[in-house]
Amino acid sequence: MTINSLIAQGMISSLLVYLLTKLNKKLGAFLTVLFSGYLLFVIFGFQNSAGEVFSLIHFGEFELTFMTSHYAWYFAIVLTLTYFLVSFFNPYWMKKMVNPAAYNMLFMVSMVGTVGVFYAKDFLTLFIFYEIVVWSSLFIIPMGKSRKTPVIYYTISSIGSFAMLYAIFYLYHSVGSFDIQAVSEAMSQAPNTYRFVFFTMIVAGLTKLGIFPFHTWLPAAHGSAPHTFSPVLSGGLVKVGGFIALITATVIPSFKILAGDLQLMGVPFENYLIMLLGAVSIVVGTLMAIKQEDAKKLIAYSTVSNSGYIIIGLMLNDQVGFAGGMMHVFNHAMASGAMFLSFAAIAYRTGTTKMSELGGLIKRMPLTFAAYLIAIISLAGIPPMSGFASKWLIFQGLASNGMMFIALAAFFGSIGSFLYVFRPLSAAFLGQLSPKHKDVKEVPWMMQIPLIIMSFLTIFYGIFPGRILAYISKIQESVGLKGVEIEGTKIIAATGMWDSLVITLVFGGGFMLAAILFFISPKAKPVDQMNTYTSGEFIYDPDHYHYAKNYYATFENNYGNKKRVELFFDAVALRVKEFGEMVKTMFFAKSVSFSIFWIMLFFTLVYFWGDKV
Amino acid sequence: MINPVLLIAIPLLAAFISVFIQKLSWVLLFGVSIFTAISGFFLQKGMFMIGGWKPPFGINLMIDDYSFIIIIVINLLFFLTLLSGMWELKKNKTILMVILAGINGLVMTGDLFNLFVFLEIITISGYILAASSDKYYSVFKYLVLGTLGSSLYLFGIMVLYGTLGTLNMADISQQFPNVSGSVKIISLTFVFAGLGVEAKLLPFNAWVKGIYGNTTPLTGPLFSTVFATGAIAVFGRIFGQILVPDSTLIFAFIALGLITFIFAETSAMASKKLRELLTFSSIGQAGLIITMFMIGGFYAALIQLINNAFAKTILFSYATKAYKSNGDDTINNMSGLFRKNVMMGFGFTVATLSLIGLPLFFGFYAKINMLQSAFALNMWIPALIILGSIIEGIYYIRLLVKLWNPGEEGQESSELAQSQFVIKNGFSLSLIAVLIGIIFVVSGIIPDFLTENIAKAADSLSDAATYLSTVLGGI
Amino acid sequence: MSQYLYIALMFVGIYGLLSQKNILKMIISLNIMELGLNLFIISTGYIKEAKAPIILFGNEGNYVDPLPQAIVLTAIVIGLGVTAVALMLARNIYKTYGTYEIDEIRGENDD
Repeated sequence: MTINSLIAQGMISSLLVYLLTKLNKKLGAFLTVLFSGYLLFVIFGFQNSAGEVFSLIHFGEFELTFMTSHYAWYFAIVLTLTYFLVSFFNPYWMKKMVNPAAYNMLFMVSMVGTVGVFYAKDFLTLFIFYEIVVWSSLFIIPMGKSRKTPVIYYTISSIGSFAMLYAIFYLYHSVGSFDIQAVSEAMSQAPNTYRFVFFTMIVAGLTKLGIFPFHTWLPAAHGSAPHTFSPVLSGGLVKVGGFIALITATVIPSFKILAGDLQLMGVPFENYLIMLLGAVSIVVGTLMAIKQEDAKKLIAYSTVSNSGYIIIGLMLNDQVGFAGGMMHVFNHAMASGAMFLSFAAIAYRTGTTKMSELGGLIKRMPLTFAAYLIAIISLAGIPPMSGFASKWLIFQGLASNGMMFIALAAFFGSIGSFLYVFRPLSAAFLGQLSPKHKDVKEVPWMMQIPLIIMSFLTIFYGIFPGRILAYISKIQESVGLKGVEIEGTKIIAATGMWDSLVITLVFGGGFMLAAILFFISPKAKPVDQMNTYTSGEFIYDPDHYHYAKNYYATFENNYGNKKRVELFFDAVALRVKEFGEMVKTMFFAKSVSFSIFWIMLFFTLVYFWGDKV
Repeated sequence: MINPVLLIAIPLLAAFISVFIQKLSWVLLFGVSIFTAISGFFLQKGMFMIGGWKPPFGINLMIDDYSFIIIIVINLLFFLTLLSGMWELKKNKTILMVILAGINGLVMTGDLFNLFVFLEIITISGYILAASSDKYYSVFKYLVLGTLGSSLYLFGIMVLYGTLGTLNMADISQQFPNVSGSVKIISLTFVFAGLGVEAKLLPFNAWVKGIYGNTTPLTGPLFSTVFATGAIAVFGRIFGQILVPDSTLIFAFIALGLITFIFAETSAMASKKLRELLTFSSIGQAGLIITMFMIGGFYAALIQLINNAFAKTILFSYATKAYKSNGDDTINNMSGLFRKNVMMGFGFTVATLSLIGLPLFFGFYAKINMLQSAFALNMWIPALIILGSIIEGIYYIRLLVKLWNPGEEGQESSELAQSQFVIKNGFSLSLIAVLIGIIFVVSGIIPDFLTENIAKAADSLSDAATYLSTVLGGI
Repeated sequence: MSQYLYIALMFVGIYGLLSQKNILKMIISLNIMELGLNLFIISTGYIKEAKAPIILFGNEGNYVDPLPQAIVLTAIVIGLGVTAVALMLARNIYKTYGTYEIDEIRGENDD
């Protein structure tokens, strides 16, 4: 099996899935499971392949080609795994979808598109598949709650992708080739060209990752997308942005090309600027996530913050921090995928993701709870989950370079994440069960599979992070960095080492101790939500008395809730529209005289200025 | 091999017959249209003298690769227009045949004054057709500006005639570089302004909103595809090959083209009605294509011209049919309309995505070619093109999302919130939509099967020497 | 030199289009503009003390350029057609809106 025939098969079978879903909704959904499993299987076979070239088609005078590489495999496996796991949810949502056939088809097209992005040998192929991913995912989002957010998504996405297109053609104009390898070699002679290209091209990565100031589409789109697609958007598609950043800064070795530039804390100032943006998005994402009422929006903001970690790690381009950033790609895909999926499970059973309408679901949906718990532990960076490994590596990288401000933001985000991930946990799973949800059951077994697998992977790579890091060190060596050092379960960094197995045992011991204490100590008496002291008044609306309302009121009051970036973008959009109205009144007025005036003005101007010809 | 004169003569003859035999006019119109659409492919290339006078003394028709491809495209578009608007033909059949003759002549002619005559034939027919929308004041505005435009054009070419003593395109293109600067400026600006009225360039195009914004299922696709393609193609011929402006003046023309593109796209973004939105999109595309002609990217310009024309066939047919069936075309009232006819929705979506230039569709190939030829000139033009494309993408995506997904904001999308609108008489449009949609997708993946002839056409436009030797070779 | 006069006449017509708000007056302006243009075209073919280009009694002396005259004939015919259509429109506007004044027309492009 080759990449090019895989892509072709994917595109054709997406059409097939469309037709079959028209015949039978469930059948089509099961086909998406089947095909994504197949894709995962085939991609897995490319684990050790590097430098194999596959030609797709001749596109006019250009040729579209793929090339296998280690970094492509890593990203592709993370993405196809996410798609595969999420696809288990699809069969159960077919009845609720407004257009299931289109959903299944676009789901497959975007999945195949991501594989195309990662394996692209040249920038044109990369861009083509990048845009395919954008528009295919774009049309899934409005099947959810909002018809406006896809437009926000497209706007921000297209700012990024068109900036990238501009950079690609700028490169083509100056280098004469789309090939990433060739460009990378040519750029080492032309740091000035590269500096411009770096900033224009990385915009695509920033927009897709949701880095400040382009983070506004994440809460909007992820929060309102169909429940089964939010995990793909957040766990999967955001990582495509990480891949663009990787190509721009590491595969084209920015640390070598820009070595002559001003160096800030051991990295070129260009990389440092992007890292600063990453730090800002960590802070913004964390602060905004704490405030959210809707669980999906909360997780979306947490994605903003975690994308900050990824871009900081990737921009470090060193032995340790880069490995951390790469590993965080996987960890966050699993963790945020699991979080979104568990809330999709809740929505499947209860029909809502608003935290104030939920509560006490731990008794009804224990497995979903466990999956969510493991995911948030990983996301908050607590051992023994895999999230700890990547965050630890990023901190190590920051500390060894002495980047105090960014490290501060990273620590802030890490601590803040305790706050925001705990909120849905306590609001939705703990506390009192809402009377509406007395009869809620655990989700069907097929929906449990992805939750179990994601939890397992999170724990497994928490205990044995070396398994991933060994592969990442291969990637590092293939792009000219020093590989991260691993000895057994020990990970060695500049300022120290850390043995994941020992830490797991310690934490396991602590957990056992806590469990024993819990079971032997007296139990609290459960109180019904309606059974509250109300001074003789009836409670008609239990949601209003839900303790998840204003959960962090004391903390939230310390900063405002003005979405300044959103307001800014809205203002820009309004100005564009106003300008359009102005054009209409000035050039398309009712009276003919206006246009005759313009025509005469045109002549006058040309003749005033014409004698210089 | 078919003599190109027939493409003008047969529609004119049929039009003449149809005046006397009203009952046959329906057959005549479709017969003529099918004949021209098919014979476009078998057109004999070369130079054809009319009336036995050798150029530059007589009028000649010129079929090079450029006019060959434009003739094919225009006659196909005309046929598609007839199909989608066949419930609207009524008494307009004779005029439509005259238009067909005029537009074929416009593209093929090798004489500047002859071009003026054909231009007047189609614009006068256009006034009469546009009047069927009952928006007489808009048509009057079109008439005033159209007449002013063609007068300016006539003035421009008469200045040239006064200087060079010829109106033959080949002869003029040979002598034009040698005329003095002031004559160059006067003739170029007047011809530019005159053709700019028809080609919808910004300061000259005030009529477009009233005409395109009030179109019927017949006039909508006719104006936005057949007329627009013809006008822009003539624009490309004249400023790409015959009257090539020099570097300073061309800057002003490029600036106007880009201004048209970006200004019109912002206006489209501010539009709430479907036909008005498409109107401004058409203006914007005209600006873009003319910019491409001006900067010498003939290949990219031709691809985009064809892409735009076929896309707009579907878009305008759909919009005008929606208005015709429901008496309203406010976008907010149309949510979920595509769910009622998925085939039209498919065609509309593919056409739109192709127009924006997203990959997998033909428009993407046009876009990368445009960027490539724009980068050959400088760095700012591609940046502006990209800016305009972003704006264009935003409002089209907004439209598509709305039309595919019924539903209140903040609620899951569902059929309950679907629009009450219906599309009547939509069968032919469904067919056209699916057909063009499939062609867009296939040519978006393998562009070669369409672009081979386009590349030849672009070459023939930039190769003035062959044009000269073909026309004037006999002397 | 008379060309400048004709161009001035053209501009008189354009000024009329620019300033007049009455549809009939605009049609008249249009005609003035076309008239100026036609005269200008004739003037481009003019040769001083030359005869009309009709060869009846042998070939003697200079003739003025016949081509502009042919062109003007065509242009006049076209102008006639345009004027006819314009008057038809004016008539319809009056029927629909009851006025020839542009400012009093309501109901088209009123957004």
